Amino acid sequence: MRKKLTAAGLAVAPFLLIFISLFIGRYPLSMGQVIGVLGIKTGLSATAPLPIHINVVWDIRLPRAILGALVGGSLAVSGAAFQGLFRNPLVSSGVLGVSAGAGFGASLAIILFGSDTFYVYAFAFCFGILAVVLSYVIGTNYTSTPTIMLVLGGVVVSSIFSSLVSLLKYIADPYEQLPSIVFWLMGSMASARFKDIAISAIPMGVGMAGLVAMRWRLNVLSMDDREAQALGVNIIFVKGLAILFATLATAGAVCVSGVIGWVGLVVPHMGRMLSGNDNTVLVPTCLSIGAGYLIIVDNVARTLTGSEIPLGILTSIMGAPFFVYLLKKTKGRGW
Amino acid sequence: MSIIEAEKASFSYGQQNVLQNISMKVREGEMFCLFGPNGCGKTTLIQCLLGILKTSSGTIRLRGRDIRSMKAVEIARELAYIPQAHEKPFPYKVIDVVLMGRVSYTGLFSLPKKEDRKTAEEALERVGMLSFKDKPYTQLSGGETQLVMVARALAQQTPVLVMDEPTAHLDFRNELGFLETIVRLVKDTKITVVMATHFPNHAFYFENSNIESRVALMNEKMFYAQGRPDEVLTEYNMYDIFKIKSKLIAHQWEEGKLKQILPIKTYG
Repeated sequence: MRKKLTAAGLAVAPFLLIFISLFIGRYPLSMGQVIGVLGIKTGLSATAPLPIHINVVWDIRLPRAILGALVGGSLAVSGAAFQGLFRNPLVSSGVLGVSAGAGFGASLAIILFGSDTFYVYAFAFCFGILAVVLSYVIGTNYTSTPTIMLVLGGVVVSSIFSSLVSLLKYIADPYEQLPSIVFWLMGSMASARFKDIAISAIPMGVGMAGLVAMRWRLNVLSMDDREAQALGVNIIFVKGLAILFATLATAGAVCVSGVIGWVGLVVPHMGRMLSGNDNTVLVPTCLSIGAGYLIIVDNVARTLTGSEIPLGILTSIMGAPFFVYLLKKTKGRGW
Repeated sequence: MSIIEAEKASFSYGQQNVLQNISMKVREGEMFCLFGPNGCGKTTLIQCLLGILKTSSGTIRLRGRDIRSMKAVEIARELAYIPQAHEKPFPYKVIDVVLMGRVSYTGLFSLPKKEDRKTAEEALERVGMLSFKDKPYTQLSGGETQLVMVARALAQQTPVLVMDEPTAHLDFRNELGFLETIVRLVKDTKITVVMATHFPNHAFYFENSNIESRVALMNEKMFYAQGRPDEVLTEYNMYDIFKIKSKLIAHQWEEGKLKQILPIKTYG
């Protein structure tokens, strides 16, 4: 009974939070005004609200909340998948270098094409994927203990791309390009429009759906490779598929939102506290908590001060102490 | 009829030869022990029999089929593997670990069904661990963990169990308990067991329990001898391979024959 209540709560929470987000912000809106906008946009009501209300609710708050949900869910689910794959509760969605690669891609696009969002998305996405491919090639070059080799591959590739980002920052025009790069790297949902969501939702959706669908296999993949194979798993194919889905989800998220740390690390741990380690339950739980967490953090980001606080800063400042608290609380529970 | 058959199987890591010309037949319903000193190639042979490592020459056949041509999922329905030591990455519940034995019966994008859950619970019951079902398996002792590994293997519903020194980390009582469980399973279900071990008396234990047992004595990548325990585990062979003096003791008591080989001293 309690399990069912938790499940129902988790399923409803992101939608509820998206709805609540419509009221939160520097421009105060009443329930009636928000409903009015939603009514006219969904065709359920005919009374025209003020254009500014439409603008605030439909063009700013709603897309941001939806994007926040997608990005948070993607990062959390892929973080949980990677932690299982690598048998290590301390890795996150960026472990194979996707964030570093995307950061480099975005910086390169800003220098080459200015801040045109299309190029930034495309470059960030492609270089994010490229980084993972490189890590994977390095990691599978050796036949023994490929798991630790993959992690090391990720470390090497992340480090290279971080250095390249520094190089780009160094040569960037300090008045126009450098600030854009710096802000992009700190992560933000500020540019969220429905068209951005439409593009990035495809890789995020495919990645999340794939991981949710194969979530029971993640349990077996967290076993020793030989055991998993003896249990009937084609290790190379299934592990590769899980990495592919997790990478699509993360790259899709990072390319629109910039580098947002800690979600892919902390949220899976919250999920474990709430619903245990079985990935059949953990993965959907992470999806829901990740979505909710990022919606909340984004609301804080845009309301705490007059100008916006970059999201990546807040997820770290809020996430890191919380992680310490979690570690303290769960000490002695096995990981 | 033989379930597993190796014919002149060899294996090498790069240039280094690890197995040479291994020929063996494992018959249905028997207990096949692999015995030999550290580093003689037992574990490598076990991995080859499971199809995890591919032989570099010779063939290993599973029910007549070349194991190299079989998919992991097909092998997993014939052979279940019980490792020497199991690394516990996350505190999964005992039942979730046993359910992993059902992977080869479940599609990539599917969840375990009610029947799978029932099979897993029955497997736990058969090793006497059903009451641990909802415990985090990180809290189990070494002996309990090995029994969970047996349950996971049973949940695979295979005709053969392949074990790699399954009692290596168990204490005196847990080791005996583990062997008793295996004996009960073999008698109840006619399951075939292949087991690598460091202890010659394991083979005698199975024979003393009236189970059809055979031993392959391995030394330096090869089979030195194969046969019934008292043909293979002789005082002479112990001397030849381990350079130890030993004594084979046979004792007749009310429940039958009792044989053990006792190590006495090492030679320089």
